[in-house]
Amino acid sequence: MNNLKLKIDQELKHMKKLTNDPTLFLTIIFSLVVVSFFVLVPLYNVLKESFTFKETFSFENYKNAFGRSGNVAIILNTLKLGFITATLSLIIGFFFAYSTSYMKIKGKKIFDFIAMLPIISPPFVVALSAILLFGRQGLITRGLLGITDFEIYGFHGLVLVQVLSFFPIAYLMLVGLLQGIDPSVEEASRDLGASKLKVFTSVTFPLVIPGIANAFLLVFIQSIADFANPVVIGGNFTTIAVKIYQEGIGNFQLGIATALAMILLSMSISMFVVQRFYINKKSYITVTGKVSRARDLVKDKIVTIPVFITLISLTMFVILMYILIPIGSFVKLWGINYTPTLDHYKYIFDYGMDPIIQTTVLAVIATIITSIFSMILAFLIVRKKFIGKTFIEFTTIMALAIPGTIIGLGYVISYNITYKIPFTDITLIPPLTGTALIIVIAFIIRSLPVGVRSGMSSLQQIDPSIEEAASILGASSSKVFSSVTIPMIKEAFFSGLIYSFARSMTLVSTIIFLISAKWKLLTPTVMDNIDTGRIGIASAYCTILIIIVTTVMITMKIFISKIGVKK
Amino acid sequence: MKKILLLLTVLLFTISCGKKETGDSEKKDQTLTFYAGLQEDHAAMVAKEFEKETGIKTNFVRMSSGEVLARLKAEKNNMSASVWYGGPVDAFVAAKEADLIEPYISPEAANIKDGLKDTEGYWTGIYVGYLGFVGNQKMLDEKGLKMPASWADLLKPEYKGEIVVAHPGSSGTAYTMLATLVQLMGEDEAMEYLKKFNGQVRQYTKSGTAPGRMAGQGETTIGITFLHDAIKYKKEGYKDIVISAPSEGTGYEIGGVALLKNGPDQEAAKKFIDWVLTKKVQEMGKTVGSFQFLTNKDAMPPAEADPIKDTKLIKYDFDWAGKNRIRLVERFSTETSTTAPTK
Repeated sequence: MNNLKLKIDQELKHMKKLTNDPTLFLTIIFSLVVVSFFVLVPLYNVLKESFTFKETFSFENYKNAFGRSGNVAIILNTLKLGFITATLSLIIGFFFAYSTSYMKIKGKKIFDFIAMLPIISPPFVVALSAILLFGRQGLITRGLLGITDFEIYGFHGLVLVQVLSFFPIAYLMLVGLLQGIDPSVEEASRDLGASKLKVFTSVTFPLVIPGIANAFLLVFIQSIADFANPVVIGGNFTTIAVKIYQEGIGNFQLGIATALAMILLSMSISMFVVQRFYINKKSYITVTGKVSRARDLVKDKIVTIPVFITLISLTMFVILMYILIPIGSFVKLWGINYTPTLDHYKYIFDYGMDPIIQTTVLAVIATIITSIFSMILAFLIVRKKFIGKTFIEFTTIMALAIPGTIIGLGYVISYNITYKIPFTDITLIPPLTGTALIIVIAFIIRSLPVGVRSGMSSLQQIDPSIEEAASILGASSSKVFSSVTIPMIKEAFFSGLIYSFARSMTLVSTIIFLISAKWKLLTPTVMDNIDTGRIGIASAYCTILIIIVTTVMITMKIFISKIGVKK
Repeated sequence: MKKILLLLTVLLFTISCGKKETGDSEKKDQTLTFYAGLQEDHAAMVAKEFEKETGIKTNFVRMSSGEVLARLKAEKNNMSASVWYGGPVDAFVAAKEADLIEPYISPEAANIKDGLKDTEGYWTGIYVGYLGFVGNQKMLDEKGLKMPASWADLLKPEYKGEIVVAHPGSSGTAYTMLATLVQLMGEDEAMEYLKKFNGQVRQYTKSGTAPGRMAGQGETTIGITFLHDAIKYKKEGYKDIVISAPSEGTGYEIGGVALLKNGPDQEAAKKFIDWVLTKKVQEMGKTVGSFQFLTNKDAMPPAEADPIKDTKLIKYDFDWAGKNRIRLVERFSTETSTTAPTK
């Protein structure tokens, strides 16, 4: 009891301090409102809708969702896809990461480069290439091997495409971990007479198990939430994310759509919770950030040459997937007529520029807001104490685990109506569906978690005493933030900028629910063209998209190095 | 302090800006927003020409008719478009039932053939297309198959896994097929047929035009689609395309145009409807490869549609098809799901 009282007293004290600093206070209120309104309200409405049948509370929608054997198959499909994709991605990612950190192998830069490809390219690229390569008229299946009825649409195609898109995530996570292992630990066991294999199985591997589990769950979450790939290449293999769209937007069966959404949400949130609160805590690696000395890399050619060849072939394959798209955009009809042509681009310039311009404009607006907002949030979470802090932290980070389709569905249900301030006639939020604002908000919410996370981790590395010093010298907290904190986390700020721009430009799952006649966006346009079989135009759009994202990225990089924030 | 205030002002400003902008564009008269149920290039061309001719800023988004219908239901109280242009009228009838469109009898409708417009003026036909089979000759030859000539043929074991068709839940084309079969066979027999047919299908696509493309590309041997779409693809360079129509008789679509209830810019919308019904605009379709038969008495049908003009048609009941759409699609989804693809 006393404890509680003490705690309340403390909280009140913090509150008091806050009211002395109105800017900070307003910022916190603003952040709380934004996060609740655009993450929690839509989720709540999805939940509410899923339990509403004919305007009363009921389990009917869930009964329908589970009652139809088709849906049960879809749920199992989704789980199977998640497990297999995550397992394979992990194996390949680990192979890449282990080889580059433990062996003397050239080309590390190339491997790092392919790890970046999935971030800057629209999610259809790999799926589209897979069709160009392995479809019935595919270059490899038909052209090279003469197989006429190879089936790329379906589970196998989907796994291939997802693994190629997601293994870089596993690679990036594991490579950091492996490089963080202090070689002296392994050498100690070598000195005690353990064989290389023994060292690997009893020292190295156990050390990275939490990392492996982390990577597995992260890829799993991505895989089950993925919308673009299943819709393009899934064929008759339907996943929950696709079904939510079909029911919600295709059939306007909001009840079933929301019930399925809750099932998907519970899957990915539980994985996320396991990852974050169980596995993250179990990390065995004492991260001092620095290893005591460089590792003796394996130089034995019998090992390195075959490994190198495998790595290079995998890499070439991935690069091939990405190169095919620009090529495909310059030929008349893939599989039929390979005459070079500019027709597809001409069509886009004549009729299809709107999506390109609109997407870029909205993405730029969203990017600027996201970067600023996420730094403010990160600052509040790491440096300040206030009521609702845990709430903000948990909600923003949790947004990572909410599948995009569910946010989209939630927005459709939630923002088609006017919100009034209770008991008055003053409009708080007008209907937002069909406006640019809702799209910008969706962009922001989708990239906020990563921005906040990168802001948080760079803040955590900076000793608060620097800020305290400024504060003691009489600076207000906004002054501290703008002239002390921000300069120190510039790098995270700019990498957040690049990331949210790329992410907004290539987002599919959420905005597929939000496009309107006035606001047409690139990714749905690409998807529509793929679905109606206009592969050339789809490829041309993808190429333009990749060029825009890369240009912005390079410009930003040059800009950053010019103003000297690079380490 | 100043800086953070500035940041917040910028934030708020950007957000309020967004709001204002959308409000403004709605107030501005002479803009037109339509949902397009026909092919993207056709819609884009029409939008561009209309804008050029009238100066009315024209926006559109292409969606399959299921999506348009869902969108209209969702936006009932806050309609953002004012015209629905293209796509089979069964969906328009469903929209009429759900009170989502309103009657408008265009002066130009006098030139539209009887039977191709709603008597109450809820929708007016802009084109007519026949449902049929599209095949890839090269693939057929390789597999030693003949082009199917009837609905019954499609169930033959040799076509297993060779057929692609859209899903009636999202595609008006596929719903035309569903409604055709029910009108041809009776509901229970049609469902039995479709259950067996389900086992033959390689893939259900979202959009009704996709099967034609896929057949053209050789991604599938046989597709089911509107024949004018198949002709379009052949013209585009998919040289292996062959077409046939089921001997039992086939259904057809009337592509419609309708005024959306409570849509903005009604005046521009009516202008648009008048304009698209004219002979000139109907004939413009063929410039972007739309080879449907036309509904305007004076309009010349495209020469490309000539070979299929004698196709055997059933007496397709659009009103019935529209009114039963939700129920039939529901039944189709449930019944075919019982043999859901497990691969």
